[in-house]
Amino acid sequence: MRKRTENLTSSYPAGVRALLPDDVRRRRRVESAIVAALEARSFDEIVVPIIDFVDPYGGTADRESQRRSYRFVDRNGELIAVRSDFTPMVARALAPSLGRATLPLRVFYRGDVVRCEATKLGAQRELFQIGAELIGDVSPSADLAMLTLALELVTSAGVTPTVVLSSSALANQLIESSTGSRATRIALRSALAHKRSAAIVDFDDVSAERIALVRLIISGRATLDDLSALPETRDAANELASLQQRVAEETGANVVVAIDDIDEEPGYYTGMRFRIFDPRTRLRLAQGGRYDDLYARFGAPASAVGFTLTVDYLDGELR
Amino acid sequence: MKALRIALPKGRLLAPSLELFARAGFDVPSQSEVDSRQLVFARGVVEWILVKDCDVPVYVDHGAADVGVAGLDQILEHDGNAYQPLTLPFGRCRMMVVGAPDAGPIETAVKVATKYPRIARRFLDERGLRAEIVELRGSVELAAVLHLTSHVIDLVETGETARVHHLRLEEVICDVQACLLTGRDAWRTDGARLRDLIDRVENAAFPKELVPS
Repeated sequence: MRKRTENLTSSYPAGVRALLPDDVRRRRRVESAIVAALEARSFDEIVVPIIDFVDPYGGTADRESQRRSYRFVDRNGELIAVRSDFTPMVARALAPSLGRATLPLRVFYRGDVVRCEATKLGAQRELFQIGAELIGDVSPSADLAMLTLALELVTSAGVTPTVVLSSSALANQLIESSTGSRATRIALRSALAHKRSAAIVDFDDVSAERIALVRLIISGRATLDDLSALPETRDAANELASLQQRVAEETGANVVVAIDDIDEEPGYYTGMRFRIFDPRTRLRLAQGGRYDDLYARFGAPASAVGFTLTVDYLDGELR
Repeated sequence: MKALRIALPKGRLLAPSLELFARAGFDVPSQSEVDSRQLVFARGVVEWILVKDCDVPVYVDHGAADVGVAGLDQILEHDGNAYQPLTLPFGRCRMMVVGAPDAGPIETAVKVATKYPRIARRFLDERGLRAEIVELRGSVELAAVLHLTSHVIDLVETGETARVHHLRLEEVICDVQACLLTGRDAWRTDGARLRDLIDRVENAAFPKELVPS
């Protein structure tokens, strides 16, 4: 008992830590530069709570997100979650007043997200993030603007990043147009999401050509041209190709298209998605995308595109 | 260039994994090195790490390893997000429901012993069964032999253990064999190198002349 007590008093739970003055100064320096850049572009800050009821978010969180979230029952018997993802909380906060707002709306936020990660691999459970959203602009130029802004913020921190671009719309259209059977759609998405080539059998209700394409995607060798050739996925494939080209032209960044980047559950993303990595460390510095249905789930239909940056990953000494 | 870190399981899949990677042209640790207490082996642009079987999917899922070899049992039990691009031709067995000699069907079970609580829970949930899961670490079939539980859910390779103890092989939950895993962020940022590795391993595992036409 004594040993256990000593362990508890001499260390923190795995994945969290205190920042001492030097670390705080480093974090604030990065944070201040990002906030100044966002304010200079007319983004207004909002603050959302660190805890909230679980119930309003039903349907917005996929299984993985739910698993990562710390939940507890409070004294009133309400199921509460600690903030693990800003985006749905921002949508819930803004939705009631969105009808009175002048769109497009630019907001940013900052704070910690706390996630229940595996403890033995040194994963951080508490991450300090800054995020930005552009609400009410459905145009491809809004996608470009937010992605280039995220890239600019990352490169200004001294990182030469790699951008990995994908599209939830492309994946959804590919799967939806492959079959009318819900069971087959689930099986196809699961095989694509885990690259389980062996799980692709000859489904009765999927054409041989489509099966061949799915196998090609799973192998990681499909190109945007392969998907542009299909009427159902042509628009999304062309949009992704155009975005890749424009981001590369405007920023000079290494932009990789990953059409095989498919999640088992679509989550709240509806359009393009991006992840920005430090190629030397493979740390994911920023991620974002388009989610045009999320605000409607909170009663205020509005398109949105946004991103979050993990601040401590932007400074080598803080990682 | 950052070294590719490959996680191999220390258990029964280690020998065939090393043999496969060697056939694919990789410089793998020798048997004497593996028999030592060393767990990390640097070989040029590849770093081999030896971990417990159940930890391979965890390491790959969290980016601590780029590639790994694990049995489908461990992958399903971990329920992670790593890619499974290649099924390997070894480690074949079955995840099964096994009953005590005098037990009824699984629908009558009150307690089920297993090393795989997540797989067992999913199987029982799909059947609408509310049996209690008793998590054990080893010799799971003993739970049915000693009537701790009426049923166990465990890997069955030849069925010999069940036969010796007069246990009843009741139902196959899934076929299991070894899989090659890759991490999602490793694939996103280093896809070309990983595709090359998968091709080499696939060609070694399934030589073209042996593939039925």
